[in-house]
Amino acid sequence: MTAVAMTLDRPAAVPKAEEREILLSVENVSLSFGGVKAIRDVSFDIRKGEIRAIIGPNGAGKTSMLNVINGFYHPQEGTITFKGQRRHRMAPYIAASQGIARTFQNVALFKGMSTLDNIMTGRTLKMRTGILGQAVYWGWSQKEEIRHREVVERIIDFLEIEHIRKTPVGKLPYGLQKRVELGRALAMEPELLLLDEPMAGMNLEEKQDMCRFILDVNDQLGTTIALIEHDMGVVMDLSDRVVVLDHGVKIADGTPDEVQRNQNVIDAYLGVTR
Amino acid sequence: MLYREAGQFKTSYAGDMAIFPIRQDRIGLAILLAFAFVVVPLLAYFEIGPFGHDYIFKAILIPFLILSLAAIGLNILTGYCGQISLGGGAFMAIGAYAAYNFSLRIPELPLLFSILLSGGMAAFVGILFGIPSLRIKGLYLAVATLAAQFFFDWLFLRVPWFTNYTPSGSVNAPELNFFGWVVNTPAERYMLALMFVTVFAVIAKNLTRGNIGRQWMAIRDMDIAAELMGIRPLYAKLSAFAISSFFIGVAGALWAFVHLGSWEPLTFNIERSFQLLFMVIIGGLGSILGCFLGAAFILILPIFLDQVPHAMGVPLSVETVSHLVYIITGALICFLLIVEPHGFARLWAIAKEKLRLWPFPY
Repeated sequence: MTAVAMTLDRPAAVPKAEEREILLSVENVSLSFGGVKAIRDVSFDIRKGEIRAIIGPNGAGKTSMLNVINGFYHPQEGTITFKGQRRHRMAPYIAASQGIARTFQNVALFKGMSTLDNIMTGRTLKMRTGILGQAVYWGWSQKEEIRHREVVERIIDFLEIEHIRKTPVGKLPYGLQKRVELGRALAMEPELLLLDEPMAGMNLEEKQDMCRFILDVNDQLGTTIALIEHDMGVVMDLSDRVVVLDHGVKIADGTPDEVQRNQNVIDAYLGVTR
Repeated sequence: MLYREAGQFKTSYAGDMAIFPIRQDRIGLAILLAFAFVVVPLLAYFEIGPFGHDYIFKAILIPFLILSLAAIGLNILTGYCGQISLGGGAFMAIGAYAAYNFSLRIPELPLLFSILLSGGMAAFVGILFGIPSLRIKGLYLAVATLAAQFFFDWLFLRVPWFTNYTPSGSVNAPELNFFGWVVNTPAERYMLALMFVTVFAVIAKNLTRGNIGRQWMAIRDMDIAAELMGIRPLYAKLSAFAISSFFIGVAGALWAFVHLGSWEPLTFNIERSFQLLFMVIIGGLGSILGCFLGAAFILILPIFLDQVPHAMGVPLSVETVSHLVYIITGALICFLLIVEPHGFARLWAIAKEKLRLWPFPY
């Protein structure tokens, strides 16, 4: 079967991070809001299949960077190359249809809908039946709905949220909401998954669960992941490479070990008067 | 005790995604439909009980069905897609006058197609007036749709072409001939309205539980996240406006042709728009069942207030009744907005939830 048959047991390809091809590259991107320069001349790349962390102190421009990547903000300068296509600005719709999905720092679920419907919404771009077909809800359109339901059920299975399938997400505890949000992003079968603080506000157990899910997604689905996270232990353990932003400027880029030893990074985090 | 779903296992996703997954609901609905489609016409034919009189059809059942259809239309836009509209009356008027002009100017067109085309016309205008929704939200959008209401009130009053230059502005519906079935008596008109409402309610339910319905609700609940998931606000919002207006337009055509028979330009004024909005809010935003409950409530409340005190020996004057209707409707809206924003439909759902555990709740 085609795109619908998402396999959750795909064998992981295992070349070293540096040898993999570049999936997305951000070149000389600058973004400002009026007089505030959120991002200044930042370049980095994300390679296929890696877990790439973006870290930095508060207000460093991390979330703005994600917003630039999936087209919600349009940078004044610079280009974004995704899967070989170079763009000055990304539109959210194009980003989504080319395979960039994301989760949000403050959970942005559709509160009035059930867990199932929320994750089904992630399948929107894969559904083809027109309005008339859906009005009839018979034959082909029903089969399509069921086919996508099967994919969604596999994701629900994977994230261990079977018991809240029919619960309105507004009623769920925060940790589960974050999990549903990850499920909704996964339903898009993204090539690049952007996670904005997936573990913010979680307790240790929930964090461990989430780490496991992120690693499993990366490992079993081969999804490339870019994540923002403040828990340094998590970042250093999970990620293949780390890029560090401070006041909108890139101050370091490399493996977790390199970044930890970098003097600029230490200064940025501990605060140094220059 | 009877309302138990224990033992009803779903072995297919189709079964799980059915409109009524619980067997008791399906039986209840089948009984209701059998009553509406078979028993009521039979009672009317043999003139038994209240259904023997025209009053119940003319004053209650026909307006209830048609207003339910209009409420479903408005609920798609306001309840499911989250775009507040005060233009319901205008779209009913467009449906009514479009159907009138289609059947007047193209006499060979079958009446069914005139009515459906009038819905199409309302959908087209709905898209035009929905364009501002891409930029503005909430109260400001409500004001923009209010503009539609005033514009079409003015248009049908001042441009005589629409009313075929009748001096009074009042127009008459053509003979209701549906492929040879001439709809005449109140019971026949009721059957016609019932068929339209049944078909359109099923369509509305299918749309709202499918992909497009999820897109509407996603736009309603969190439009930014929806956009980043690949939902185009343009398509989602304008399709909601189009389909909502189509439903309301068809309801307007039925209201004019089937319920009224002849009508004047200000029949579909701002009061009608408010009435529709109240039905949707009281019945339940984002619920098809709620549309029927809301329509029933808004329609029956004045009749109830008129008849019951009278029967109890406390006759109220007509003015008192109409004032009481305003007071009770207003108070009830305030109450529901505070206590249960999802209206009667949610109260019904909660009651069913309780019933499942009765009499041994845990």
